[in-house]
Amino acid sequence: MLFFRGLLAVAMLLCGLVILVRMAEALPAGRFAIVPGVVLGAAMVALGVHRLSLIARVRGMM
Amino acid sequence: MPADSKKSPQPELRRSVTPWGSFSWGYSDVGADIFVGLGLVLAWAAGASNVAFLFAGVVYVCIGLAYTELAATYPVAGGGQYFVMRGLGDIFGFIAGWAVLLDFTIDVTLFAWTSVDYSSQLMPALVNSVHPWLHFGVVLGLVIGLCLLNVIGVRESTTFNGVVSALDVISETCILCFGFLFAFRPQLLIHTMQTHWPSPYELMLGTSLAIISFVGLESISQAAQETQRPASIIPRTSVSLILTILIFALAYSNLALGFQPWHPITDAAGHHLQFWQIFPNNPDNQGKAVALLAAQVPYYGAFAALYVPVLGAILLLISSNSGVFGSSRIAYAMSTSNLLPSIFQRVHRKFRTPMISIVFFSVIAVIELLFAAAPALFPAVSSLYTRFFHGENGLDFLADLYAFGAATSYSFVFLGLIGLRLTDPLSPRKFKIPLNVPMRFRGERVEFPIVAVIGFIGIFSILMFTLFTHPLGRIFGPSWLLLGLLFYLVYRRYRRLPVLGSQPRNWRTAQTEILRRAGELELMDEYVANVKASDARRAGLGT
Repeated sequence: MLFFRGLLAVAMLLCGLVILVRMAEALPAGRFAIVPGVVLGAAMVALGVHRLSLIARVRGMM
Repeated sequence: MPADSKKSPQPELRRSVTPWGSFSWGYSDVGADIFVGLGLVLAWAAGASNVAFLFAGVVYVCIGLAYTELAATYPVAGGGQYFVMRGLGDIFGFIAGWAVLLDFTIDVTLFAWTSVDYSSQLMPALVNSVHPWLHFGVVLGLVIGLCLLNVIGVRESTTFNGVVSALDVISETCILCFGFLFAFRPQLLIHTMQTHWPSPYELMLGTSLAIISFVGLESISQAAQETQRPASIIPRTSVSLILTILIFALAYSNLALGFQPWHPITDAAGHHLQFWQIFPNNPDNQGKAVALLAAQVPYYGAFAALYVPVLGAILLLISSNSGVFGSSRIAYAMSTSNLLPSIFQRVHRKFRTPMISIVFFSVIAVIELLFAAAPALFPAVSSLYTRFFHGENGLDFLADLYAFGAATSYSFVFLGLIGLRLTDPLSPRKFKIPLNVPMRFRGERVEFPIVAVIGFIGIFSILMFTLFTHPLGRIFGPSWLLLGLLFYLVYRRYRRLPVLGSQPRNWRTAQTEILRRAGELELMDEYVANVKASDARRAGLGT
């Protein structure tokens, strides 16, 4: 179970990074239009890291 | 001796919900909302749908944090109405609870309706515009069926909720991963935002609809009542829940605007359409947006097209059921606080369920269904709606009221939070929303919550957007509140209770009992010590 949750967290983290990189590419054309995408990417990275840290803490306790 | 005190003590709810159970409870309520909200917001906010979701999402984060603090501090199932009643008084508690009840009854109809819409993706006979009577009949059957199941006491189990929630989180993560990796074009997103930016009216309408993707946080407080050590567990699960829901809503809206469909989409004349353009003026598509998007995701879409409509329909049905169950539970809690007549506490002799409450609010849900389905069923009513209500359809009608009820109750919850921070600083708060200003109030050190003020401004503006842009919502929503308020005033006068004021209650004893029942004995000791220290300080000042 922990493995699958870790996999989901990594997927979330990678997805967030992909979005951040791709939104950065669109910065010259978009300016303010990229804000929702950047917020999304940052939130995904934050949630991925948060979940991974929780999993790491649980593994440390086991 | 009052009749109530002769009764045998009410059985308490068993505290057996685990952290994952607590998460999945909330997720099965709030997670289903995006299945309903996405199509509606794309239809109205067009190129600014992601901005509408971002604004509503920021407000939602504030609401989520407020509920987390309140549910961890006061782990009782009454939810918003309890917090508001305790913070602001009985009459405001009633208004907040009555608005929540509107939301729960709409929840029953709206989610049963969209559950059928998602099913129609695999069973075209259920498409509303093609077979409105069949669609109506199936939705009505679902509402009646859920009512009967709740009367005889059959509820979906926490395990079932957990399995469906886990499947949905995995499914949505897969859809988004494949979508963002293979079909997302940032340039297309920016082009759409720049060329299809809506009018201010449409943006306000879209934003007010976006909030319906975040409704259901009452479940946090309901889970708190049944979670062991809620002060520790609830903040942990709530923060994950809030972030997950926010991410899914933002991700779907950004993806939909910058989405390159796997198979080209064309209109009747053969012109190519962007994905989001299939939603305006098409209520059938609006009701099953996530299934339509999932089917267009490269590689994964062929598989997703088969199961997402089924998964969506099940998740929505669970949410609909939580409306039937939740309305009876809130009415029960309001009745025990003398905000509603004691008839709502009466339980069926055989099934031990609040039958009158369940049937009463299910009947209201059926009446709402009749209003929503009438334009599709009767052409004369349709022309009436076109003339007086900007041609709003059934889904719009339900969404209007859902947004109104949510915005009203959440506005009061923020005020309740501020009130409780000022009037009850002695209760230990294991989780506090950030950004607080320390100050003194009535001789006690209190912390004024800035985030609650920001959240209140945000949700109040969404309430104003709802009243301004929803022709049906601005009539039926306030009418529901006024009718309820009238009933409340008559009831309180009849019972010789304070009509505009509050019944005297010993909140200190109540709080000690709440913490004891929750198993939060350390917090209970801390609370008792705070109370003693405060009393000693006041006695010292008096002498």
